[in-house]
Amino acid sequence: MAKKNDNDTVDIGRRSAMLAVGGLGVFGVLATRLYYLQVVEAENYKALSDQNRFNFNIVMPERGRIVDRYGEPIATNKQDFRLVIVPERVKNFDQTLNRISKILPIDQTTRKRIKTDIRKNPKFVPVLVDEHLDWSVFSALSMKLPDIPGAIPLAGQGRDYPHIGIFSHILGYVGKPNEEALENEPDALLRQPSFRMGKTGVEQSMDKVLRGTAGRQKVEVNALGRTVREWDDGKIEAKRGDDVWLTIDTEMQAFTAEQFGEESGGAVIIDVMTGELRTLLSMPTFDNNLWVSGLTSAEMKRLNSDPKRPQYNKVIGGGYPPASTFKMAVMLAALEHKIVKPTDKVFCTGKTRLGNRTFHCWKRRGHGLMDMHDALQNSCDTYFYEIIQRLGMDKVRPIAEALGLGQTFDIGIGGQISGVVPDAEWKSRKLGQAWRMGDSLNAAIGQGFVLATPLQLAVMTARLANVNQAVMPKLIVDGKSNDFAELGINPDHIRFVQEAMYSVCERPGGTAYRYNGLGIAGVKLAGKTGTGQVRGISKEERLSGVLKNQKLPWKLRDHSVFVGFAPYENPRFASAVIVEHGGSGAKLAANITRAILGKALTKDGVLPRDQIRN
Amino acid sequence: MAVATPSNSIQGKLFELNWLLPMLIFLVGCIGVIVIYSATGGVWDLGASRHLLRLFVGMGFLLVVAMTNIRVWMALAYPAYLIALALLIGVEFFGVSVNGSQRWIDLGITRMQPSEFMKMAMVLALARFYHDLPQWRVSKPVGIIVAAGIIFIPVILIINQPDLGTSLLLMATGIVIIFLAGINWRIILTACIAAAIAIPLFFMYGLKEYQRSRVLTFLDPERDPTGASYHIIQSKIALGSGGVNGKGFLQGSQASLNYVPENRTDFVFTVIGEEFGLIGGLGTMSLYILIIAVCFWLANQCRTLFPRMLILGLTTTFTLYIFINLAMVMGLAPVVGVPLPLISYGGTVMFTVMAGFGMILSAHLHRETKLPRGSGLLL
Repeated sequence: MAKKNDNDTVDIGRRSAMLAVGGLGVFGVLATRLYYLQVVEAENYKALSDQNRFNFNIVMPERGRIVDRYGEPIATNKQDFRLVIVPERVKNFDQTLNRISKILPIDQTTRKRIKTDIRKNPKFVPVLVDEHLDWSVFSALSMKLPDIPGAIPLAGQGRDYPHIGIFSHILGYVGKPNEEALENEPDALLRQPSFRMGKTGVEQSMDKVLRGTAGRQKVEVNALGRTVREWDDGKIEAKRGDDVWLTIDTEMQAFTAEQFGEESGGAVIIDVMTGELRTLLSMPTFDNNLWVSGLTSAEMKRLNSDPKRPQYNKVIGGGYPPASTFKMAVMLAALEHKIVKPTDKVFCTGKTRLGNRTFHCWKRRGHGLMDMHDALQNSCDTYFYEIIQRLGMDKVRPIAEALGLGQTFDIGIGGQISGVVPDAEWKSRKLGQAWRMGDSLNAAIGQGFVLATPLQLAVMTARLANVNQAVMPKLIVDGKSNDFAELGINPDHIRFVQEAMYSVCERPGGTAYRYNGLGIAGVKLAGKTGTGQVRGISKEERLSGVLKNQKLPWKLRDHSVFVGFAPYENPRFASAVIVEHGGSGAKLAANITRAILGKALTKDGVLPRDQIRN
Repeated sequence: MAVATPSNSIQGKLFELNWLLPMLIFLVGCIGVIVIYSATGGVWDLGASRHLLRLFVGMGFLLVVAMTNIRVWMALAYPAYLIALALLIGVEFFGVSVNGSQRWIDLGITRMQPSEFMKMAMVLALARFYHDLPQWRVSKPVGIIVAAGIIFIPVILIINQPDLGTSLLLMATGIVIIFLAGINWRIILTACIAAAIAIPLFFMYGLKEYQRSRVLTFLDPERDPTGASYHIIQSKIALGSGGVNGKGFLQGSQASLNYVPENRTDFVFTVIGEEFGLIGGLGTMSLYILIIAVCFWLANQCRTLFPRMLILGLTTTFTLYIFINLAMVMGLAPVVGVPLPLISYGGTVMFTVMAGFGMILSAHLHRETKLPRGSGLLL
């Protein structure tokens, strides 16, 4: 054994000696090469280094615009003036900053920031003093320049969102690329001090399209790295970013925001044939120009502490109980599974007992005998308590999902939530608890675990209006055709639901009859009201009289929900409106729907009044 | 030959440790701090301070690895290799793409590059394999096929990422170890002929477009003066303009004006050449040669195969790093993104290099430890 070992190592010894010789040989080659470069060719390279100081400057591309469906620009670029100082050319910082501050005030925090920036960067890197300067300040600074060595005024491009507020959540905003973006993309464009990339919304999702391609220009620089001459030959022009077209109608978006006034919530108008979103609004909004110019901490605090949460995109990211608007899904499931005939009647006494619990209908005195059509028209809860017990939520879930609930859609912006369509499987997976019949009763009237976003409710309504196709919402125009999948629900059943939704709005006794439809002669509205409960009502409270919503604090008031489509005979648009804590009944949501659907149908001659019969 | 086995106490081991190697490593690391400081325009916070911190942490790590018994590394050889292999396969499916190559695994707090881990794991596995394999089987089909498998499975996975530089490094290290194991000259000759046929075919069909462009650019730097060959041209200007004495510390205009991109990482040697000239360049190379020579000397003192193979294999990887990096910077090899160990800025490389030297010292420190043969796979 020992002998064998020795044999091995002797051979290794010889071979590692060969290796060492080979390695030294390679080092010899490298040393020779270094000698060649640094001694033989040294003069050549010195000359190249001293005289021939070419550099390639990046030519910034202009960012593409974002425009609405009619080409109205909603995100554009505007001239932006900045002042920078180059540390290596400044002799006395305090003096320089004092001279600048005579024209452009510099506060203590900015002064501190400038000093840190100077310390953290090589001496030749320009440090920003201030940006978004007025033209008057900018020109005054340019005049004073000879007295302030090292200061350089720069004109560039900045992002501008002209329609303040109404597009905040859709567009997002732009900002400096973060560390992660820099690491993932080697493109030198991202390293330019004036480069901005999309941070949220369409600005982020379409960033690659909007960004454009950087150009290159050969420049000659002197020993300090300053540009002394720019070459135009061989210049590669920057390629401007492409425009992104949205399906949104600015006029409708603004009009919808007006209807909301001070209220909080979300509204959607969707084309029932193409799925194009004409309005996608979350209220209240904020001015996303503030993000581009840099938000002050006071503004940030104000936004974050607002109970109406302006930053939050409620229309796609807010989960609300759909309340009675969920009854359409339950109805369709009952019809599809032939659990009840539409003519079967249920007697509503105002409450249903289940074990030792009592479930109330919204109408405390009861509706009396109700068939399916009447139950939706009157929004009778008792009827749905009854049929859900025969049907089961596991049969409702596939229908609700086919209608668009419980899922997100590929509309090109982030922040969507999928909401909840609960059944036994969901509850055991998410909560680890067994499903109880009481959960079914709550879910049947769109309360309890059920959560949906305004966008999902709009898609549901659009699919009900379309009858045949599983309409998908679309926000960004992509030139693709709208080939939607089959909805896969019996069209006769959907027409029956449509008819009942028509009765809700246009027949006496319907829960929305008193809001007078659309108020346009000959154009009929079909829809459904909803009152989303935020709090449970205790037995004691019921006995002592339920408090009127107006007397409750804002946070505890019910959500007002309304979904609808019009014209009833030949559907064109569907809508969903949720007013957060809008109070009992669908009044606020229904009034907003009436206004915005009416305007969507009549503006731009989409549905000219004179073409309407009757 | 009766050298006392190292005492098992920590003091005893610290006393027995070869201190020349860590001192040389620390010296080269300090050169890195100075050069990075200059490369970033004389700003302490842009890398130099981090590099110094990493150097200290790395030295501590090196000592911990060195103190660990060689039996631990031997026992871990195959498991480490299999884990590295699993991670490489995992990267195919769950990896994070950076700059178009899928090389990283996201661990939440940090990202790791399994190919980096594989560099060490493969050397360990091969050293273990040859330790267990009787000499007469080295040139037999079993010996060749298993060794080739250990090398080429990870190489193919890494080419796929795609990361040409690392896979070539891995392959070269493996081939050197097979050579050291004493494979028949006839087989070496056959392999050379096969390679001469296979390489042109691989260049035409096996490479990604950008990889081919890098090789072509290397062959003809004027092909694309603003793109891929910009690195090489500017790097040569920086070195050449340094002359014999250099322009002086912090005086390198090529470096400070950012003509040479990546000058604190892969192209850090250009700063040495520009600011300290031929003297600085050759001096740095001499220090590297000294480190490598010490490693060979340490290997020669080992009487058992595993520590010896381990030291030589790890030294080979270290040496190849230096060769490829210097050749690239001097325009003798295409740009493949291999850092200069101990001097280039970067946490992963520092960690890997220190772990490697730790194992070299551990192997030397425990050179008299009895390591049974023939207990491994297949035998």
